[in-house]
Amino acid sequence: MSQSFHEDCAELARRATDRGALPRRTALKALAILGLLPAAGGVARAQRSKDLVISNWGGLANEGFTRNYGAPFEAANPGFKVSMNSTGPSAGRIKSMVDSGAVTWDLCDSSASSSRVLGKSNLISRIDYNVVKKSDVISEAFALEYGAAPYSFSSVLAYDSAKFPNGGPQNWADFFDTRRFPGTRLLRRDALAVLDAAQMALGKDPAKLYPLDARACLAKIKEIRRNAVFWNSGSESEQFMRTGEAVMGIIWHTRAKVLEDESKGRIKFTWNQGLLQAGIFVIPRGNPGGADAQRLLASMLANPEPQVELLRFLGNGPTNPRAAALVPQELKRFNPTDPANAAQQVTLDGNWWGDNYTELNQEVIDIITG
Amino acid sequence: MSPRGRGALGWWGLILPAFLLLTAFYLAPIIQVLAISVTEPRPGFGNYERLFTSESVQRVVFTTLRIGAVTTVIALLLGYVLAYRIAMAGPKAQRWWLLAVLVPLWISVLVRAFAWVTLLRRQGLVNEGLLAIGAIDEPLPLVWNEFGIIVGMVHYMVPYAVLPMLSAMREIDPRVLAAARGLGASRGAAFLRVFLPLSMPGVIAAAVLVFIFSLGFYITPALLGGGKTLMAAEWIKLQILDLIRWGLGAMMATVLVVAILATLAVFSRLVNLRRLFGAGG
Repeated sequence: MSQSFHEDCAELARRATDRGALPRRTALKALAILGLLPAAGGVARAQRSKDLVISNWGGLANEGFTRNYGAPFEAANPGFKVSMNSTGPSAGRIKSMVDSGAVTWDLCDSSASSSRVLGKSNLISRIDYNVVKKSDVISEAFALEYGAAPYSFSSVLAYDSAKFPNGGPQNWADFFDTRRFPGTRLLRRDALAVLDAAQMALGKDPAKLYPLDARACLAKIKEIRRNAVFWNSGSESEQFMRTGEAVMGIIWHTRAKVLEDESKGRIKFTWNQGLLQAGIFVIPRGNPGGADAQRLLASMLANPEPQVELLRFLGNGPTNPRAAALVPQELKRFNPTDPANAAQQVTLDGNWWGDNYTELNQEVIDIITG
Repeated sequence: MSPRGRGALGWWGLILPAFLLLTAFYLAPIIQVLAISVTEPRPGFGNYERLFTSESVQRVVFTTLRIGAVTTVIALLLGYVLAYRIAMAGPKAQRWWLLAVLVPLWISVLVRAFAWVTLLRRQGLVNEGLLAIGAIDEPLPLVWNEFGIIVGMVHYMVPYAVLPMLSAMREIDPRVLAAARGLGASRGAAFLRVFLPLSMPGVIAAAVLVFIFSLGFYITPALLGGGKTLMAAEWIKLQILDLIRWGLGAMMATVLVVAILATLAVFSRLVNLRRLFGAGG
């Protein structure tokens, strides 16, 4: 895997605030109205506080998570202090921490496939669904055995409409059809979402996508690899589209939104057949906060308002079933879990990917670099 | 013990703290990491077997060696011309030449890679320029491939090629060239049969330095390769951080270390390697 989605979100939001597109105060004010900012923290400070650490990928995720994940929990549970660490909890770092017995993180911003891989190696704890409520997420895919998702994101088809005056590509079959839609493709240098798109292009019913026919999907990638460039980080994907290196791409919805805004609608994206993914948080085995990490995760899933704030702030989609209705009208179009958008997408099967990721990712990389 | 022996022992004693420090904080952890290659996922040489059985491991090794070799050859050719020009210049001009060679060294590798992207991409300066003068009809694929990687790497490595060769060329007594000419050699013959052989130690030293550096490149191929070329360093990162196949990653790291040590061992017999580290001349 290259740069992860969460890493990328933070970077995007930082850029937005730098430009002044997203006033920092908006989020603060909204939270104050919602009563989610701890008044002065007086009560908490008086008692001896219990610390919980969320490990994220840095940048504005620190700010976004502190306000929207940490603060609501602190407000509801006096005596707790939630802090952030932004060294980036890649699967390898979690393993080295647990192996060495010096775990300093309670919750890590990971992924569905990593949670499965780490879980099978006994490096992270099972989610306790007596504490975390499955009814707090819109679907099973967001509450897995070894992790649960307080946010969502999507890998969507974006294209430069100026290159296709007679109408752009609308699904993955179009994406892989270089005769009807000539031009360089942009794919992530990763198996996740890329093979799923290939499977849809092969005509399999999106509703019954899994298990993927890996051989056929890999062959499909092989077909277009000469006609494609590959991105590692979100900013790279944006750059490839912006500078016209590629005419269409599979990119994260957050980047697609930026491109659409910036190009005044010339670069468009469609939710159709997009791959809805879960922003899975995991609890490393032997975490310092013990079972309290489960309570923190439960609170992150249970509060829809902060999730909507995070959509505004970082672009991450909410996962709480009550959140979509709270999203303001102008943001609905960019919310991956808005019912209208979600209906067009396919939810990526994190469990299937967890069992197959390591091997298939290697094969995808072999094909791309071959 | 002779007084002389005792004195020598004393000198060795002085470097003992540094030796222990290096062993404890540098060598030991490195060996610990490399040892993972024979302990994970199960004890044995399974990871090394992949060197012979896995096409994907072989591809990474060959890609790394190929790009390293091509980069070395091109950097040496460019570097030799530069070094020759500098060695032949007057003392004042030499200082300006050297500054021009060294300035790129101080620019971050990231900045340089992005600069190449700006120049070489489809709508970049080079392609737009060529299109404008009508030399080409379609933008040339100058980046997001091995060509782009090699351009970026050669640009990075030329100063490292120039410096050892320059120091070797400066050691050559200009009078031997004059003598060759006086004995009837043409300019070309004097260069080919006198100057070039005398500068060879510098060329070999530069080749070793550039090649070893090239094997470990990470950022330049990642940024200029368009994701399509994977060299050893990035492959190791992938195995360790994302795929958590530490055994495989450590195996490749060991192979890289062994390859570098072997290159050094072979060439240390041919040239004075201290020249590489600035003690030459």
